Amino acid sequence: MGDVAISCEGVWKSYRIYHQRAHTLKEKVLSRAHRYEDFWALKGIDLEVETGTTIGIIGPNGSGKSTLLKTLAMVLTPNKGSLTVRGRISPLLELGTGFHPELTGKENVFLAGSLLGQPKREVEKRYDGIVDFAGIESFMDIPVKNYSSGMYARLAFAVAISVDPEILIVDEVLAVGDEGFQMKCWERITELRAEGRTIVLVSHSLPTVRTLCSKAVWLEKGTVRETGKAADVVADYLAEVHHETADQDGGAGAGSHGRRYGAGPAQITEVAVLDGDGGHTGTFRTSDPLIIRVTYDIPTGLADTICGIAVMRGENLAYVFGQNSGQAGLTLPPGSGTVEFRVPYLPLLRGHYVITAVLHDEAATKIYDCHERRHWFSVFDNPSLPIEGGMVHVATEWKASLSSDAPSSAAPAEQSAR
Amino acid sequence: MTIAGVEELFRARELTANLVRRDLKVRHRGTFLGMLWSLTTPLLFVGLYWFIFTFIFQAGDIPEATRTDGTVVPFALYFFGGLVIWNLFATAVGGSTGSVIGSGYLLGKVYFPRAILPLSTVLSSVVTFGFELAVLVVATLVFAGLPGLHILWLPLIVVVVTLLAFGLALILSSVTVFLRDVAHFIGVFLQLWFWGTPIIYSLSLMAKRPGLLTLLKLNPMTGIVVSFRNVVLLNRPPDFKLLGYDFLVALVCLAVGTKLFGRWQRQFAEIV
Repeated sequence: MGDVAISCEGVWKSYRIYHQRAHTLKEKVLSRAHRYEDFWALKGIDLEVETGTTIGIIGPNGSGKSTLLKTLAMVLTPNKGSLTVRGRISPLLELGTGFHPELTGKENVFLAGSLLGQPKREVEKRYDGIVDFAGIESFMDIPVKNYSSGMYARLAFAVAISVDPEILIVDEVLAVGDEGFQMKCWERITELRAEGRTIVLVSHSLPTVRTLCSKAVWLEKGTVRETGKAADVVADYLAEVHHETADQDGGAGAGSHGRRYGAGPAQITEVAVLDGDGGHTGTFRTSDPLIIRVTYDIPTGLADTICGIAVMRGENLAYVFGQNSGQAGLTLPPGSGTVEFRVPYLPLLRGHYVITAVLHDEAATKIYDCHERRHWFSVFDNPSLPIEGGMVHVATEWKASLSSDAPSSAAPAEQSAR
Repeated sequence: MTIAGVEELFRARELTANLVRRDLKVRHRGTFLGMLWSLTTPLLFVGLYWFIFTFIFQAGDIPEATRTDGTVVPFALYFFGGLVIWNLFATAVGGSTGSVIGSGYLLGKVYFPRAILPLSTVLSSVVTFGFELAVLVVATLVFAGLPGLHILWLPLIVVVVTLLAFGLALILSSVTVFLRDVAHFIGVFLQLWFWGTPIIYSLSLMAKRPGLLTLLKLNPMTGIVVSFRNVVLLNRPPDFKLLGYDFLVALVCLAVGTKLFGRWQRQFAEIV
């Protein structure tokens, strides 16, 4: 693959937890015993991030995700081990980094820009876009301390998504706020990813990691538990989390890590979510074309194999639609091959979606192989469509007419009286 | 300072410039006169000193305060000249002491060469000094006459005092992270230092007390104040011997400061 943008070798990081920290001279002199203990937040992390990849860091609270992120951002220095970074880093660990309440919105845009590693020329180029996005043009010359919290957040957010980094380091805290914010944020990350930037992100939103990241790292108690393809790591992580909580909720959590089952002999070897041009992606806009390509292996002699696809809402597993190739009169020819399920116009509205792909016989009595809820994609708003509620975009018309054109209101009553 | 460290600072010059701008703007934000205060404060000071020394103390001229052409510089101006260069030093050192702890909210969020924090405070003092210097030059023109060619030495003196202040700023700002007492102590310390520097008095006043004079000359600010007054007010060359000594002290402070700051800066984000 390509060059390595970030490489971590055996990185250890400890925090000294003081039970009572001596901040003044008196305390330093008087308290002979400095009572503290070392807490090792990272215990020998090895990690390589190739240039142009998007990598997600997952793990339970306290597993060292944020510490690792801050170490990569060079805010914290490891106690042991080496960290090499090639490229300009822009860390987005919080909204409004470096905003000074006394400075005007405009001044803060430039100050924050330079703190995030943006050259002044770049900020100047993007300035209009930032103001536009924040939608507070007439307030750019007053100090941000006089902003409403909403204006402040919008400006901070506009600055954050305007950065044009070589390496972007994002904490999910950035995605606090309403859903629109979050989606904008993920959209921007998707754009940067498409431009070939290197992105490291920490998120508790597993669907996000699954759709946005090509690779994932699962941290546990300061060590790397697993690293690999995002979908695999997330699935394994969820499998464990669900295993632990299975007793409480009977194992049927809405998060659903997915599973694979089936009696064979036909097999699904890969399920890929593609855009209209056949490129791998996990993110779409409403009305985009979408292709689900299933790569299969069917032994000769098995002549009646059908492929089925079902799509569900990620958060509640609401069944959105499902079809199989049999309905279109297609049985899969035996051998190694692929079958594509093409959606020329994706009607889904924004959200995370999960796919079940299955191979079964014509009567659907025998399941050969089923990848149940193992593959995800996300849909963003399409700015050229009006904002709609619900799950799907439906082509509709509204028509209003005055009551004088309609049949008289007494008529139905007469009819019902008969 | 290591080459890499200087290079890193240089690459972050836009950020430094922005922080200097922030310092200056924030200082005068919300005031009616705004940036004009940078001019008004020294003007008010000159008036105040002139009034006090002429009408209250009725101070006579001091022998040292004569220019090469024989003009005697009024005492108020003589004092103000010393004060201008001292203010540069004192605001730089005093202000930068808390520069690291004052920016704690940034340390944990984004990486930048930490030395930018004391550096930008020192540089913003240099900018303020520029305003005071302008007032001083005008006052000199009015009360004493044209400055001579020796004023060309001025940049050198400013460089020496800035280096000295930056060296001390590195030391004090990093020590303050671990020992916040320093922030309180530095104010008193600078007051003492002020009186231990020939600003309100002249070196010749100490001529009869050689012990005290030697002590005074060990103070690195002495040479700077004397040389500054020489070139700006008195049309005389700097005191190269003292200024050279000051330069050496500045280098030592810089070396110690870089060493301490460099060793401790990795811990700043966790402690502040």
